[in-house]
Amino acid sequence: MELFFNPFDNLVCILLGISFTVWFTLLLVFIIVPAILGVSFGIRRLYMKTLLKIFEWATLRIERGAKENNHLLYKPYSNAIIAKEPTSLEQEIKEIRRSGSNRDLDSASEFEMSDIFYFARRGVASIMDDEVTKRFSAEELESWNLLTRSNNNFHYISLRLTVLWGLGLLIRYGFLLPLRVTLAFTGVGLLVFLTCVIGLLPNGRMKNLLSKKVHLMCYRICVRALTAIITYHDSENKPKNGGICVANHTSPIDVIILASDSCYAMVGQIHGGLMGVIQRSMVKACPHIWFERSEVKDRHLVAKRLSDHVEDKTKLPILIFPEGTCINNTSVMMFKKGSFEIGATVYPVAIKYDPRFGDAFWNSSKFGMVNYLLRMMSSWAIVCSVWYLPPMSREEGEDAVQFANRVKAAIARQGGLVDLLWDGGLKRGKVKETFKEEQQKLYSKMLVGTQEDRSRS
Amino acid sequence: MGASHTRTEPNEFQDLMDKTGFSVEQIKNLRKRFLQLSGNEETISRENLDSIPALANNPLKKEIINAIFDKRNQHESEVGSFQEIGFEQFLMVMSHFRPPTLKTTPEEKEALRKEKLRFLFNMHDTDNDGTITLDEYRKVVEDLLSKSGAIEPATAKGIADAAMLEVASTNVPHMAPDEFYEGITFEHFEQILKGLEMETRMHIRFLDVGTATMRCGRSTS
Repeated sequence: MELFFNPFDNLVCILLGISFTVWFTLLLVFIIVPAILGVSFGIRRLYMKTLLKIFEWATLRIERGAKENNHLLYKPYSNAIIAKEPTSLEQEIKEIRRSGSNRDLDSASEFEMSDIFYFARRGVASIMDDEVTKRFSAEELESWNLLTRSNNNFHYISLRLTVLWGLGLLIRYGFLLPLRVTLAFTGVGLLVFLTCVIGLLPNGRMKNLLSKKVHLMCYRICVRALTAIITYHDSENKPKNGGICVANHTSPIDVIILASDSCYAMVGQIHGGLMGVIQRSMVKACPHIWFERSEVKDRHLVAKRLSDHVEDKTKLPILIFPEGTCINNTSVMMFKKGSFEIGATVYPVAIKYDPRFGDAFWNSSKFGMVNYLLRMMSSWAIVCSVWYLPPMSREEGEDAVQFANRVKAAIARQGGLVDLLWDGGLKRGKVKETFKEEQQKLYSKMLVGTQEDRSRS
Repeated sequence: MGASHTRTEPNEFQDLMDKTGFSVEQIKNLRKRFLQLSGNEETISRENLDSIPALANNPLKKEIINAIFDKRNQHESEVGSFQEIGFEQFLMVMSHFRPPTLKTTPEEKEALRKEKLRFLFNMHDTDNDGTITLDEYRKVVEDLLSKSGAIEPATAKGIADAAMLEVASTNVPHMAPDEFYEGITFEHFEQILKGLEMETRMHIRFLDVGTATMRCGRSTS
């Protein structure tokens, strides 16, 4: 009996052993070594092209299937639910009054009951649809990328498509996810370990050099852990020491994407747990700016530390996301002026994610961090483009807010995003009373102005 | 009834379609909007509506929000106001702003018009006694005009009084000097706004997305 089982067991053990070895060797050769050296085999780009072809095929198939069965096809999400009237307050009120009474009114003179209409309608229209609130939910796709999470309107169209989707599910969760999680742990572990080791060295050129190499290497491994395919444009504008790099913010992954190409000093709040461990070990190798929770509120302290850092030309450029919160990558919202008051050269960077492969936006009210990372790691890939824009400095007679808006406009233009004046903080807070008064002032000026005309004539 | 919705299926939409007159497409879009405003909850409260910045700009914001939570706008015989509303009630309120389609008969148009007028009347008549008194009217006018000083309170009061007087004179032509004008009833209200073209001024145009054009290949954004 025993003799019968033993060879079988042995065989299984040997097979398992071989497959693990092969697995790790492949991992090492194709992913980790290139990450260390900073070269690429081009596997990811090939992967991306293949995926695109498959998506096109899938979308055509759906279209054909829907036509055959006369199904209601998935309609692209129109960016607005209602049509906005582009007329101004005065014009529209005149029109309302004209339609109500037969008198020919040249100017909007007295107050009339029908004036209420304009405001009531505007108010209800803004409840139905407004510019700001819709920036905070994920952008919807027009074609299907074989992930049911990107839209739920696809019904069962054909067997082949469902099989493809099932296969995709298997590949993503069975093969890609474990691979990526392994890589992520490797990357983070190496980062913590190596930065601690480097921290033991005496300060000097050697330490800085080694720290740069280590940071780059670990971030590259993390990039591969997400299968992020990044295209960097205009690398001659990369940020230099003593400058501040600003970028639009879509997700925490932005940090990894930027830091895998160039070295930055990070700014942020100290967290507890794993994040805290990583932060503390990073600061051993090269200076980053971490704030205690209580210090974050003190704007002068923050400004002072930032300006001390930029004055020291041996320190790395600071990386800041002035929007203050994650936006869904269709627009750029108001930049907080703090980082623009310091007076250092600003290097703007625009990041645009390609939504066809996976939605990178972190909706922090919907998903926690771990949930979000799991979603990222089980998508196909994260494809994005990074543009380094030429450096900008504050001009004569320009205040911090105007400078911030100028930088924001440049980033929005380059990334193909919509430039909005609204504050990203509106995700959580309320509008100030001063904005409401503007509308009232306008209306009352209109009434009072014409009263004066009449009394004069 | 409003709080127990889980997943709305097509036949449930049919019910809503009949009640409110919206199309399936519009109901789906509004449902998405409802969930966005409520933070994926099943009901909306006043605080949820407070967070819309464009609404904060509107001087009639208070009246509009009250109108949405007003039970009178649900076309049932209840009065008072809700603390929170569900999706069906939200749709009912929004249906006051639905435009007539090509298929609407003249009777339906008249009924629609009356509904819209009723909505506006309710916005003014805050104590629900069936008349808009001078005070109620003045309140609305003051809200419309600025509190920031471009118009003094005395001027605002003057404008409101003048408007009220004009209304009174059209309805009660021979009012004695010491007669007390009670207020504008709904019939008076209808009378005043008789000529007004409600159909084009009191509605919101829903964008109608036609059949999809799937764009394969690189998007141009």
